[in-house]
Amino acid sequence: MSAAAPRTRRSKRSYWPQYLAISPFFVIFAAFGLFPVLFSLYLAFHRWNGLGEMEFVGLDQFRFLVEDSTFWLALRNTFAIWFLSTVPTLCFALVIAAMLNSAVRFTSVYRVAYFVPNITSLVAVAIFFGAVFSTNFGLVNAFLQTAGLPVVEWLTDPFGMKIAVASVMTWQWTGYNAIIYLAGMQAIPSDLYEAAKVDGAGPVQAFFRITVPMLRPIILFTVIVSTVNGLQSFTESQVLFGSNTTLNPNTGGPGQGALTMVLYFYHQAFDNRDFGYGAAISWAVFLVIVLFAVINWRLVQRRASE
Amino acid sequence: MELSRRRILQLGMFGVAGLATGGTAACSTSASGGSGGDKAMDLWYWADGLSKKVVDEAVTRFTEVELRPQQIGGNFKEKLVTTMSSGGTFIPDITGIKGEDFASFTPQADRFHNLLELGADKLASQYLPWKWKKGMTKDGKLIGFPIDIGPTAHFYRRDVYAQAGLPSEPDKVASQMSTWEDYFAAGVELKKAVPNAFIVSEAWAVYNVAVGQANARYIDESERFIGDQDHIRKAWDLAVRATQLGINAKTKAGTPDWNAGLAGGTLASLTGASWVAVDIQSAAKDTTGKWGVAAGPGGTANIGGSFLAIPKECQKPDVAFKIISWILSPENQAKGFTDSALFPSTPATYTMPALTSPSEFLGGQIPAQVLGPAAQKIPAQYESPNDQAVSAPFAIELGNIEASGKDPNTAWADAVAEAKRVGQRLGVK
Repeated sequence: MSAAAPRTRRSKRSYWPQYLAISPFFVIFAAFGLFPVLFSLYLAFHRWNGLGEMEFVGLDQFRFLVEDSTFWLALRNTFAIWFLSTVPTLCFALVIAAMLNSAVRFTSVYRVAYFVPNITSLVAVAIFFGAVFSTNFGLVNAFLQTAGLPVVEWLTDPFGMKIAVASVMTWQWTGYNAIIYLAGMQAIPSDLYEAAKVDGAGPVQAFFRITVPMLRPIILFTVIVSTVNGLQSFTESQVLFGSNTTLNPNTGGPGQGALTMVLYFYHQAFDNRDFGYGAAISWAVFLVIVLFAVINWRLVQRRASE
Repeated sequence: MELSRRRILQLGMFGVAGLATGGTAACSTSASGGSGGDKAMDLWYWADGLSKKVVDEAVTRFTEVELRPQQIGGNFKEKLVTTMSSGGTFIPDITGIKGEDFASFTPQADRFHNLLELGADKLASQYLPWKWKKGMTKDGKLIGFPIDIGPTAHFYRRDVYAQAGLPSEPDKVASQMSTWEDYFAAGVELKKAVPNAFIVSEAWAVYNVAVGQANARYIDESERFIGDQDHIRKAWDLAVRATQLGINAKTKAGTPDWNAGLAGGTLASLTGASWVAVDIQSAAKDTTGKWGVAAGPGGTANIGGSFLAIPKECQKPDVAFKIISWILSPENQAKGFTDSALFPSTPATYTMPALTSPSEFLGGQIPAQVLGPAAQKIPAQYESPNDQAVSAPFAIELGNIEASGKDPNTAWADAVAEAKRVGQRLGVK
């Protein structure tokens, strides 16, 4: 919009082309975003199998949820997987971005190569990783064996399963975060580096003393996005440990080691057709994410006031 | 240079776009058109849920309607429930319902036509009685018309059994391993003779079949929880015993390890439904002729096996029923077996040429000679709409015993307590 826009008051009605132009988003959001959100809140107070009558049960679903050890297990799993994936993802991304930033040749080739995992079908990726982590015939165990290390049952040991899921996520999101960091790095003025060089700083020192501090707002942004993303992780576990049996699918694999909160929600709502309880779980997930957002917010505030 | 707000916003949009691509990558839908005249009749099924050849023939045969068969991919139940709860014109006129999902539809029997009122009672004698009963509600309405069944049997590697000094001919295998105890004893011998060879693939393969061999499941007909009783405990103890004897490979079905075990001979036997043979064949193509099938230990059970139903929205239920009963007639079920490995629910089919030809993969054996008699010995079990939800804790706790060596008695107590809690939430007494 230009600064020379007329100051005269126009009637609201005359703005209809503009409203029309932005309406598709709001219409779609209302139908596929707002309505399901509100309806799920309504559902959380009912018992419903998707076809029959809804039965009002008050706070029963939430009461059950608080005592549901499986839900708390899913919560712990989700945090473990989130931690195991976010920390390496962001560390690798930062290093890769720094290397991309100083690359001289084929820069766009590298950028595309690192971004490709992010747009690859997650199902295909998870199936591939399932083969890589296979106990007896997987690539990882083959390496361990040649190195003389003991074999790990990646897909049946509860901790190994979390590592398997976390590596899928790391693989997928490292390039994406690296591209974001790269954008931030390119905004850092080069005279800072030149000044540092004159003062005798090496590349490692420049990275830790200039690049990382200057990138702080961007790092914070990626932490928040990774948190929101990680707390809702679902597909990785679903595909890696999804349908081992026809009778009991999507329970998160052996020992429920890879059961995440959203997978548990999916299992209750769409496998057991227990939509009321599923809705209650999804609201619990929402509360957990709100809690995290508040913690993040507090951290940012403190940083700003320091 | 400071990072501007616009830049942050740009990055934010980028992030949201990235999340959206990640989140939707796993979903694929195949929508169906709801247009067409009054003559249109939609039939929903899944790949290999019916013989495609028979369905195509039905399209040209029944010209009083325009039959439009659609193979629905992905989670079939989810799509059917969503469509039916939204109401309207997209609801199919005829739909398949998978065996494991069927019980969960019975509380909404009024959403389907009672097939007995459309003349199904005259056909009852052609179908296996226990399967026919499975398609009925407690108050005697027939809403599911039998497609196929999944009689269980004992699939085994002839060469590996022979190597271990065990019998390798089906008759002898069946008589020596007629009980679970004898089957496990053979497993111990096998392990001794052939290192790394297991007779049990996973605890679930024993437990699920053993539960199916009983006369009741987790919930009785008055919707009371009975999962803590002896019939379930017996199946549980068998699965635990197999694990304690060290003859359990703890390999989940369908995983790369499972495929490799079947191909390499370390998984020397599987107890499962008739369609397991198809799974083995696709996992281990190179083992053609090395497999055999024998009557399973401890009797037979049924796993899976589907139904066709006619939702209430169908305008011409009499025509729909005519189509269903033709597609699933004993003659056409023979084609279903040939084309899609659907084991017939009609005993008359078991003696037809399609089922009496020897299977090259099973070493020239005629599988129906084992599975046919087995199919007729399957106990009729009442399956509650909440059966699946209540059974989940048992599967999970068995998995805990396998994965982390949890104490079996603690695991049992936890499974029962959790099943009761889940049942209570769902209204089980």
